[in-house]
Amino acid sequence: MSTTTTPARSEAGGSSLVWALRDTQAMATRNLRRLLRQPEQIVFNLVSPIMFVLLFRYVFGGAIQGLEDLDYVNYLIPGIAVQTVLFSAGVTGFALAEDMQKGFVDRLRSLPMARSAVFGGRVYADSINNAVGLAILVATGFAVGFRPNDPFGLLLAMLLLLLFALAVSLGYALIGLTVRSAEAVNAATFPLIFPLTFASSAFVPVETMPDWLQGFATHQPVSVVINAARSLILGDDVTAAQRELLLAGQDTTSLVLQALAWTVGIAVIFGLLCTRKYRALVK
Amino acid sequence: MVDRPAVVAEDLHKTFGKKVKALAGVSFEVQPGTVLGLLGPNGAGKTTSVNVLTTLLRPDSGRAEVAGVDVVADPAEVRRRIGLAGQYAAVDEMLTGRENLTLVGRLNHLSSADTKRRAAELLDRFALTDAGDRPAKTYSGGMRRRLDLAAALVARPPVLFLDEPTTGLDPRSRLGLWGVIEDLVRDGTTLLLTTQYLEEADRLADRISVIDHGRVIAEGTSSELKSRLGAAVVEVVMEDDDRAEEVRRLLGDRMEASREDETVRVPAPDGTATLATVVRALDDAGLQARGLQLREPSLDDVFLELTGKPADEDALTQHEKEASS
Repeated sequence: MSTTTTPARSEAGGSSLVWALRDTQAMATRNLRRLLRQPEQIVFNLVSPIMFVLLFRYVFGGAIQGLEDLDYVNYLIPGIAVQTVLFSAGVTGFALAEDMQKGFVDRLRSLPMARSAVFGGRVYADSINNAVGLAILVATGFAVGFRPNDPFGLLLAMLLLLLFALAVSLGYALIGLTVRSAEAVNAATFPLIFPLTFASSAFVPVETMPDWLQGFATHQPVSVVINAARSLILGDDVTAAQRELLLAGQDTTSLVLQALAWTVGIAVIFGLLCTRKYRALVK
Repeated sequence: MVDRPAVVAEDLHKTFGKKVKALAGVSFEVQPGTVLGLLGPNGAGKTTSVNVLTTLLRPDSGRAEVAGVDVVADPAEVRRRIGLAGQYAAVDEMLTGRENLTLVGRLNHLSSADTKRRAAELLDRFALTDAGDRPAKTYSGGMRRRLDLAAALVARPPVLFLDEPTTGLDPRSRLGLWGVIEDLVRDGTTLLLTTQYLEEADRLADRISVIDHGRVIAEGTSSELKSRLGAAVVEVVMEDDDRAEEVRRLLGDRMEASREDETVRVPAPDGTATLATVVRALDDAGLQARGLQLREPSLDDVFLELTGKPADEDALTQHEKEASS
């Protein structure tokens, strides 16, 4: 048939998984290029964690009670780290919404690429963005007196946070696919992300909050992840009293397992919902 | 060898939500190596038709085939055989022209060397080489459309879909893009083109399907559609009504002349021959016309005749937007 001239594709040499990975790489490269060309985005990513560290370390830090002699800067950095990745995970949603709005997703959907690469390339690029944000945050922390007891624990904590950010990114992605504008993504997520971030153990010990808030603030996922990261970073240097009051009275292993359970749970649920939403675009 | 049609749409239906009937039984075919113009106002169902054929939307019922592949049964295979340029010029503004083409090449699974060569080739062909390493956000509207079109061509698809390729362009950019599309067509690409510009369909398409309210209401070549309005008309414009009446009587019943104010119209089934006859009759009678022309019916006339409304009426704009978003 004359309509099927042989297209110059080289698909013979690779399984569909290999192609999915290559497509993901191509999309991630594109997403990172975009990020690097938005100076205002980069400045925000750099400046925002630094400002938060300085704000809490020097402005609010002196007034924070109930630390059981733990140095506040050591308490603070894991909290701000989670806040940083929670906020910058929003990029995933904003960027997908923009791609939907501008018809770019339609172009992608007309190509013979792996559909998973649209999300894969997104969270890949955004994870690198998050990792850079975390590195800046930790460096700032060191500059203002942050001294983790366990460097290996610090590394594990950063990995845990990146995984958690990835899971949350998928939540943002779902909203980005649904509402189709960056402003609307913000409006839809802010009322959720804000209380999760601040009604948590991120900045102040939960013990200092009113009773009715303590239950939520102790057990909600953001606090669980913060406590796990904090426990990993503080290592063996935590007194029993500190652990009881500041780390929900649980040991590192238990906290990390809970944090991983939340992370995997959130990733699976939102991953499936994203896939379903993307497939439903055809309807 | 008889070719199968490169594109088949057969009784396609698509309803959005409960009420918005975007397609109400659309059928058409595109023969290999030809151009079909899908002509209709906003909201007629043009974009929805393209979205179904390019696997972006699944039809509620009906059958659609592209390059011999069923779009519902094997959408992935269809995507290997098509290029799509939509009405929004879906290029990444942050990337350069070259990066846009390279990305599409990679996602089409071309080899890296082939992708690179193809990007350079297409930038050159569409006069974008100088701008090739600038971000697309610095491009003019016409350049963006050309880049979008180039992106659709990266994988050398046998079937190309252009959804309102010149909507929103200034006349000069439109002319430029028409030239580009005419070149493609000369190379034998099968093309389905949607447009709300009658002139565009007239100029680019071999055959035209007029679509309105989700249905094809007329189909044929441009001249076939025009002939549905009868033949051309010779118009004679005189100084005043009295002179015009004189001309009407002169041409009289013999030529079925009619008069409206100072203009006399004569049906011209024989085209220029009729024009010559009219000129001779005026000469013989010593009458001087202020204006004299042979007027062929335009597709605008066809559209008005078929749908009872001008082609640019925007009644259903909102629905089409929802349908395509």
